[in-house]
Amino acid sequence: MMTTDVESPPRAEAPSDPAGTPVDRPRLEHDLRAARSVFSGGFTVLCALLSLIAAFPLFGVLYMLIERGAARLSWSTLVELPPSAIQTEGGGFGNALAGTVFMVLIAGLIAVPAGVFAAVFLAEFGKDRPLAAAIRFGAKVLTGMPSIIAGIFGYALVVLTTGSFSAYAGGVALSILMLPIVTLTAEQAIRAVPAKMKEAAVGMGATPTQVVWRVTLPTAMPSILTGVMLAVARAAGETAPLLFTAQFTYFALRVDRLENAPSLAVLIYEFSGSPYEHQIALAWSASLVLVLLVLVFNLGGQLLARRNELARTR
Amino acid sequence: MSFRKSALSTFVASTLVASAMLPSGCGPSQDSAEVSLSGSGASFPSPLYTTWFGEYRKAHPTVRIDYTSKGSSGGIKDVMEGVVDFGASDAAMTDAELEEVARLRGRGVRMLPMTAGAVVIVYNLAGVSGLRIPRETLASIYLGEITRWDDPRLVAANPDIALPDLAITEVHRADGSGTTYAFTNHLASISDAWANGPGVTTSPNWPAEGGIGAKKNDGVAAMVKQTPGAIGYVELSFANQSGLPTALLQNRAGKFVPAAIPNIQAALAGTELPANLRLFLPDPAGADSYPIVTYTWLLAYESYPAAKLAALQEVLKWCLTDGQRFSERLGYAPLPDAVASRVIEVVGSLHAE
Repeated sequence: MMTTDVESPPRAEAPSDPAGTPVDRPRLEHDLRAARSVFSGGFTVLCALLSLIAAFPLFGVLYMLIERGAARLSWSTLVELPPSAIQTEGGGFGNALAGTVFMVLIAGLIAVPAGVFAAVFLAEFGKDRPLAAAIRFGAKVLTGMPSIIAGIFGYALVVLTTGSFSAYAGGVALSILMLPIVTLTAEQAIRAVPAKMKEAAVGMGATPTQVVWRVTLPTAMPSILTGVMLAVARAAGETAPLLFTAQFTYFALRVDRLENAPSLAVLIYEFSGSPYEHQIALAWSASLVLVLLVLVFNLGGQLLARRNELARTR
Repeated sequence: MSFRKSALSTFVASTLVASAMLPSGCGPSQDSAEVSLSGSGASFPSPLYTTWFGEYRKAHPTVRIDYTSKGSSGGIKDVMEGVVDFGASDAAMTDAELEEVARLRGRGVRMLPMTAGAVVIVYNLAGVSGLRIPRETLASIYLGEITRWDDPRLVAANPDIALPDLAITEVHRADGSGTTYAFTNHLASISDAWANGPGVTTSPNWPAEGGIGAKKNDGVAAMVKQTPGAIGYVELSFANQSGLPTALLQNRAGKFVPAAIPNIQAALAGTELPANLRLFLPDPAGADSYPIVTYTWLLAYESYPAAKLAALQEVLKWCLTDGQRFSERLGYAPLPDAVASRVIEVVGSLHAE
């Protein structure tokens, strides 16, 4: 290889040549006109441009939402009930905000324990068993599943059996979307726990349960929480599953009864298609709040992940 | 390992904040005497229904009625599954669907006309208002036989308007829709070619070449607004709010009428509802009648548990009397008194389980 490669600089000969022939030293300067320099420079610029384009949608959406949604945003929009068509001013989406938070909370209560324990099984006990492989495959398939399927599942499982749409049915549907994200990220987190720590614990006489409970899980916790935050961010923005399970209401969220429950995503869906300007304006504000909510959870996840890395390298 | 504790406390703190936010949106827990009813279906009457139920709750805080607009077919499906207390549909229900509900749920359904509305033709031609579209011409445009705005048939009907040399872009609903049903019902009654071709349906095969599908009423209105030379059909309130000009249509009597509430009411006047209250008006008679008019139906079960029955009967009676005053402001036609009293009679015949 070396001998045929004319491009690569010739290797410096050992300066022990007695005949005093000129020593061929590597050329360290860089010819900007050389084809590969141009090629490299061109690609660098292209990559920078394309990554700008990739970032554009996020900032474009944020800019548009702030421009159109920030005007209506105030404390009263965050707490009041949605306005009807004849109510041309005032009103807000307090009930929808509460509904989204509540349903994501329910979804988290279902998905986080189930996902984390599934991850413990996958990473610690089931490792190479066919069952573990099957669960892992299932979780990966589930991440790519269209969210409307989760809605139909929640509808069949909860709405048809209880005979009513409810916040709880919405929570169940959202948990289906959160579950695979939590499981897969938690498995990675648990696998990343150094074997030495676990061995040390076993060496001190800890049972497998104690190792998982006292060493593995606490160490992996920040990374697990990163996954939870990402899952929360995903669930908070979903419309389709909630249309099938929680529907919508103009009135306050009731958690003590099985009734329609409001959510930001469905409010945006309903009001963006309204003929009335004030409802459309409110949909913009609700979109802004929803995007900020998702952004905060995403940033929270990133922050936890970063702190986790820092702590590990320390 | 201090990071672990702080990560945990972050999580706990955010959970606390989240749950602290809850009470702001949750009303005070009312007494258990509250009756709540839930309905779903047609998007066409949704602004009126949600206004009614909001206003009614102001006067009757113990009655809560939720309505979700998800389309007429969604409402019929929910009624069949028994997951709502009532449905709503712009196309009423077919006999087969009515039998299906009775078989599945063990109780029949009554179709109650609650209000009436109009489907209007909106268009995008700079500087042109008061466009008149004759009967055959409307069908021909949607059949794709008339493709330009300066077609002689349109010019003949609009001698005072300078129609541009511009292609007609036909815009229709991409989703199955009760608005489309009312529109195609009218087209089929004024044109044999339409009746034998695309027919009366919620989502026909649109024959016009280069036609554009748009989602829901607002999608059609937006598409027409941004496409010079476009023509589309939307319900009246969307046309009013979008500021698009509306066409005068030729009714059965041959007169060109605007899509105004009095003309919609003229179309309803003198019609006789059958026993099941399901009446379509594909081509109403009367000199001042606007030609594309439809009732929209609330689908109530024949029987309910006692508490729900009382609440539902009260609220429906209120909607059919006092509530009608909200109709006009939102682009619907108040029901003629004779129709309203027929519907109230049927509401009274709903019974306890």
